[in-house]
Amino acid sequence: MFGYLLKRLIQMTLVLWVVSVIVFMMMSFTGDPVFMIVPIDATEAEIAQARRILGLDQSLLVQYWKFLGSLLQGDFGQSYVFRQPAMTLILERMPATVELVLVAMVFAIAVAIPLGVYAGANPQSRMSRLIMSGSLLGISLPGFWVGMVLIYLFSVHWGIFPSSGRGDTAEVMGLRFSVLTWDGWTHIILPAVTLSLGTMAIILRITRAGMMEVGRQDFMKFARAKGATKNDVLYKHGLKNALIPVITIFGLQIGDLIAFATITETIFSWPGMGKLLIDSIYRADRPVIVVYLMLVALIFVVINFLVDVIYTLIDPRIRLK
Amino acid sequence: MRYFPKAALRVGALSATLLASTASLAFAQDKSITIGLTADPSHLFPLAGEELSSNIMYYHLYDPLVQRSPELEFGPGLAESWETVDDTTWRFNLREGVTFHNGNPFTASDVVFTIDKARESIRPGLVANIASATAVDDLTVEITTPAPYAVLPNDLAELLILDEEYTTATDDADMDLKPMGTGPYMLEEWIKEERLVLTAFDNYWAGAPKIDRVTFRPITNPATRTAALLTGEVDVIQDLAVRDVDRVKSEDGFEVLTRPSLLNVVLAMDTREQSPTIEGPNPMTDQRVREAIARAIDVQAINQIVMNGLATPSTQYVPASHVGYVDGMNFREMYPLDIEKAKALMEEAGYPDGFTMTLDATNNRYVNDAQIAQALASMLARINIDLQLNIMPKSNFWGYIRVPTEQSSFIMSGWDVPAGDAGSMYGALFYSRDKKEGYGQVNRGSYSNPELDALIDQADATPSIEERDRLLQEATKILLADVPMIPVHYEQDIYAVREGVSLEPRVDKFIWAYDMDVE
Repeated sequence: MFGYLLKRLIQMTLVLWVVSVIVFMMMSFTGDPVFMIVPIDATEAEIAQARRILGLDQSLLVQYWKFLGSLLQGDFGQSYVFRQPAMTLILERMPATVELVLVAMVFAIAVAIPLGVYAGANPQSRMSRLIMSGSLLGISLPGFWVGMVLIYLFSVHWGIFPSSGRGDTAEVMGLRFSVLTWDGWTHIILPAVTLSLGTMAIILRITRAGMMEVGRQDFMKFARAKGATKNDVLYKHGLKNALIPVITIFGLQIGDLIAFATITETIFSWPGMGKLLIDSIYRADRPVIVVYLMLVALIFVVINFLVDVIYTLIDPRIRLK
Repeated sequence: MRYFPKAALRVGALSATLLASTASLAFAQDKSITIGLTADPSHLFPLAGEELSSNIMYYHLYDPLVQRSPELEFGPGLAESWETVDDTTWRFNLREGVTFHNGNPFTASDVVFTIDKARESIRPGLVANIASATAVDDLTVEITTPAPYAVLPNDLAELLILDEEYTTATDDADMDLKPMGTGPYMLEEWIKEERLVLTAFDNYWAGAPKIDRVTFRPITNPATRTAALLTGEVDVIQDLAVRDVDRVKSEDGFEVLTRPSLLNVVLAMDTREQSPTIEGPNPMTDQRVREAIARAIDVQAINQIVMNGLATPSTQYVPASHVGYVDGMNFREMYPLDIEKAKALMEEAGYPDGFTMTLDATNNRYVNDAQIAQALASMLARINIDLQLNIMPKSNFWGYIRVPTEQSSFIMSGWDVPAGDAGSMYGALFYSRDKKEGYGQVNRGSYSNPELDALIDQADATPSIEERDRLLQEATKILLADVPMIPVHYEQDIYAVREGVSLEPRVDKFIWAYDMDVE
């Protein structure tokens, strides 16, 4: 276990380092951030002053070296645009995103697993076919379109849910949560549903495929023969053995949604961190992009680690090495 | 609430009223409004940067010495009056009894401090035309300019006055989060990307605001902004999407407000002997070729087809309200759409078969910018100019087209002069390059005309605004005849409000709750 952790830690450091190098190199192609900050009629002297204030008057290599140096001291650099620490900018927007993603994932699982198990156990039934066609729709409909339709129907037309924002929040340990207030719930439902559809469809299809494969195994028949109820066979014996790929995908999806929920966030003006990334790319705000992508890489590494741990819990034959 | 003891007191007093009297009475006196903006502000510290949402907040929280009206007239702000002492010295008499939100009195030393601070900041351009500032006494400031400069008050409308004591004690990054000005509103709460709440400053020198609480919500997606208005989540929205205009107009209880903006979309033509994207000698050195291009561009068609009728064709380089505008002169009447005439001009100039060049344009800066570029390509094809398009996002654009423009021949960009004066635009865009510091730095077409340079020099050397107006009008006439640049159109600002909200859109787009009211 210790060796495994160490290996993972080294891997992680390597990944983060590679991300920082790639982003630094990429950013040299996306335009000079100084021109996004100074007025267009700025004189040479004004531009030089801005460059000096932002620390952009040195070569890229020196800038990178300085970035690494301060990184090791826990300083992630300052945004050129906001003039605030990049990490603070991201962290103050992150809880909203994480909350939205978690609610969306709960929606996705609550719907996808039972339907997937059903469709896998009864592949020929009409209901299963309906479920499968529905899931195709879930995969192929673009999120921005679903979001707009939901807003049009539920907010503008029927007036059931508000169209945008986070609503009232309740504070727990310094973090604000929408799910703790009724008003917050009415605000989170539409974006969470929009965000969950794609994942829901993918998980549903993988659960079904797994169940169909497991269903053909002998131990399922034995379980039934020994007297287990149909539901016990499906959920305790069947689902447990079909879960490994589901969990893998689930982990990847969580990471993906946290990092790139941008479109849903923009449509519902959910105050998450996705929009910060897009804005920063438009404004060539390199410090924010670097830290953001490094943080995303970190999230993926951690989630994959957790997924590995969960494997061992579900299937005792798997060991962490 | 640590930063706004007054606000705390006020809220305290309010809750006491609520307890003591009936709730409805207290609410009846409390007007509030929610405004949907296109973006969250990046800053609340005026010297940290500039973009529209931040500008809107600055003018709620701070005041300038000279106030700019919605119609771009300049009048007293924190300075009650001003006069020129000599050609380069101005004396500003400050308003008495003004306090910052923290209770500190506003004095001449705050003005001097702000000017010095701006010079060291990322926005030194704010004080580029100020040589020095001295406090004569507590309520009098003398400002000198490097040369006679008739429009100094216009420039000062953009310089927002800081509290010396507070700003010195607070570092710049904190100033962005805890602003302290003399403005009509104080910051109550700012949750990034979610909402920014302002409360009225009851001791405001021009009288307490009519609306007590203003909430700004950033709603980036245009369709969501419309939805938020229609569902009553917000009372006002900025930048109503063009495609939603009819929809909102047809709803009961909502109103659409439009007004031409100051942003002039212009096409800069290279006038160097050799141009980066043109093979052989540059045809655009010839005025006839430039005129032919102007005559081949159908601004009406662009307005109708690309802009849905929501643009105002430009008559000159600056709007009619500006110093330097020549009444009665209209670029569109001087060079109306006329393909035959344009072809004849091309032939006269020796280019009957046209030539090939590249247009550099953005795709995320101006309304429908990429589509305008495409329309231009098909329009110029009619006079045999093969226009290649080089379209890029704005993050690449400004560096790419930057003077000395070593990669561009033909550039589409926008220009606005909120200072209400053509001089700064002409100085930056048309003055010969590399001749004088601070002039010609955005002269992307390398236009050079000694006569024009002389006029700008004289305009920037006269302390008389009438004289400046006369000189700049002469400059306008030369430019309109010479066509170094084609003005296309002004974009239109579109707002939508629910019934009961009174909003008069400002020319400079800075929504100001102090001028608004709700029922």
